[in-house]
Amino acid sequence: MKKECIAMLLAGGQGSRLYVLTSDVAKPAVPFGGKYRIIDFPLSNCTNSGIDTVGVLTQYKPLELNSYIGSGQPWDLDRLDGGVHILPPYMQEGEKGSWFKGTANAIYQNIGFVDMYDPDYVVILSGDHIYKMNYGKMVEAHKKAGAACTISVLEVPWAEAPRFGIMAVDEADNIVEFQEKPKEPKSNLASMGIYVFSWKKLREYLIADEQDPSSSNDFGKNIIPKMLGAGEKMVAYRFEGYWKDVGTLESLWDANMDMLSRGDLDLLEDSWPIYARLPAEPPAFIGKSALVEHSVVTQGCEINGKVMNSVLSHGARIEDGAEVSYSVLMPGVTVKRGAVVRYAILGENCQVEAGATVGDSPENCDPDKWGVTVMGPGSAAAAGEVVAPNTMLNRDHKEVSR
Amino acid sequence: MKGLHGIIFSYEKHNDLRELTLHRVPASVPFAGRYRVIDFILSSMVNAGITNVGVVLDGNYQSLLDHLGSGKDWDLSRMHGGLRLLPPFSHEQSPRGVREFAGKMDALASVRSYLKEIRQSHVVLADSDLVINIPLQDVYQAHLDSCADITAVCTSNLEGPPDATYYKLSEQGRITEALYPLRSPAGCYRSLEIYILSTQLLLDLVDECMSHDQVSFCSAVLQGKTDTLHIHSYVWDGYAAQIRTLKGYYARSMELLDPAIRAEVFNAQRPVHTKERNDASTYVDPAGTCCNCLVADGCTIEGTVENSIIFRGVSVAKGAEVKDCILMQDVVISRDAVLHHVIADKNVEVMESRTLMGHDNYPMVIAKDSKV
Repeated sequence: MKKECIAMLLAGGQGSRLYVLTSDVAKPAVPFGGKYRIIDFPLSNCTNSGIDTVGVLTQYKPLELNSYIGSGQPWDLDRLDGGVHILPPYMQEGEKGSWFKGTANAIYQNIGFVDMYDPDYVVILSGDHIYKMNYGKMVEAHKKAGAACTISVLEVPWAEAPRFGIMAVDEADNIVEFQEKPKEPKSNLASMGIYVFSWKKLREYLIADEQDPSSSNDFGKNIIPKMLGAGEKMVAYRFEGYWKDVGTLESLWDANMDMLSRGDLDLLEDSWPIYARLPAEPPAFIGKSALVEHSVVTQGCEINGKVMNSVLSHGARIEDGAEVSYSVLMPGVTVKRGAVVRYAILGENCQVEAGATVGDSPENCDPDKWGVTVMGPGSAAAAGEVVAPNTMLNRDHKEVSR
Repeated sequence: MKGLHGIIFSYEKHNDLRELTLHRVPASVPFAGRYRVIDFILSSMVNAGITNVGVVLDGNYQSLLDHLGSGKDWDLSRMHGGLRLLPPFSHEQSPRGVREFAGKMDALASVRSYLKEIRQSHVVLADSDLVINIPLQDVYQAHLDSCADITAVCTSNLEGPPDATYYKLSEQGRITEALYPLRSPAGCYRSLEIYILSTQLLLDLVDECMSHDQVSFCSAVLQGKTDTLHIHSYVWDGYAAQIRTLKGYYARSMELLDPAIRAEVFNAQRPVHTKERNDASTYVDPAGTCCNCLVADGCTIEGTVENSIIFRGVSVAKGAEVKDCILMQDVVISRDAVLHHVIADKNVEVMESRTLMGHDNYPMVIAKDSKV
């Protein structure tokens, strides 16, 4: 059936800058904020924005992500008509077909899927951002402007502008120039990697781009510059609110800490809920000897030690005399008696044995060498072991360099 | 077809749950931080592989309907079978006409047409006011092994509600007498009112009881047929709480703060399912302290909370003190309020600096949606 607008969510990226955290899962499946995974944000935004058809493009280690999304029921995306669809690369006739070569190629290979819904507009999303956003308003703005493409932008401090894709605009917010990580930015409007396209236009450009052997088939590098060059109407849509790319270990840790301080990113505020698939766990138990301060705890936690400035996902066990501070614990982590975890990200089902020390605060360490300590999913710190700040362990207990 | 079919009775019986059952049947009384009482027996059935469950409704069942929905949170929203809600429209089928059910046999007679369609060979009957996490597949296997006509689950723990039924057992475990009411149950076993029997026997018993105008399963079958039917016991000494009095409700809730009891109720192999809500994780502020508490998701804790059970979405403001309390969904405790031994029902709001004190053996209950 025809839909006015559908969303395509790019979820195939490896997330190599999350290193051990994405050794077994795609980046969008990485846990966030106690109860969520990164992909919950764009999926919930879609539902809350009234978009009921979402294609999720997967490629890198999709198994956990696929089973997490399942029928889409937690996001109310199990629909008779539309709903969430997982779109992996597939064979074409004549044994052709290939991996997705770039973000634009991923959509190109699924033109058939989009055509099934014959939409007027397609929203392109990525699976590595933490934010609450009403895409419906952006589509409205796109319609009103009569644009071929609308790009969501965020004002960033000028000093940080060189880290982003920057949109230079005229007084009516029409995009006049796109600069990828410019040394001398012409504006401080950073692209958030969220696009609304008029499907007919995008379809043409995707087909043309595919014919170009020199193209890397990427939205930012190829499609956007080509459309600008051809004089298409491209409009910037200014977003205000919390938005963070959590593609690096530091930004993932930062975003979790931002969530704790409940400023711009308040997940307890329920006017724009974020949905998640949840395991059946009993309420958290906070014991007699426990101390919990400026932290979040989740169903299934058993806390008997000290927890400060930390995010505890479901099933975390903090034993008596253990201490966890400024850390992010993903589901199923155990921190045993007397162990200390500071400034660390512990992946799913990590074990920190009694008396071990993982990470340390920046004050106790050479500032040049300090960094967040990361233990990959399923890894363990032995009893009494010291895992230094800025190190990263995989599940075989090998150190991985950044 | 081999297998079990579940039937849960959730019609209103006499109970002493005071304000907690003003707006609901005992089956949908909130329990253990994020559950309703019925979740436990329903999850036990689902975890035993049962995919067909009928819930016999009567009385004030609006909140139960809202809770159960399509049954999808228990994986009972199925193309084949799943959850069947049996509201008292079916009273019309009962020869006794329209009124409240007088007993299990009466209730079963009113859903006879439903019973006739059951395709499974056996039926497990259970009450909805029982908090238990029992491997029903083991009870079923024991039933098949013993070749009994009826298997009845009971416990050697005699501290139950005042209206409990007790069994006397032979050395082999056959039930020789069912006693109700009973003042001094020493030497007996307390019934947990879970029964397994064949579907055909159930239908025969329903028909027989109706033609003799008998409404009670206890008197007509357990007491009346101990000689002619082989009624066997299955002794379950794990956690089991029949929630029928307020005092019992409070005591059995507070027991969950004991890790050993929690481990029995929340077994990782047999998860307890409930209606999901989308709450973020609970936030504990630096100004707050929280110890010896069960805390569900979606709470904001800025005050002091001790020895308490805190349901989803509760907020406790700075300076407030909550001790030995049960705060149900979305309760709001404002600044500097003090609550000891209080059960605050859903959506209760306690204003600034109020002081509310109950006692260990007489907790103060604040009815749903009240503002203090």
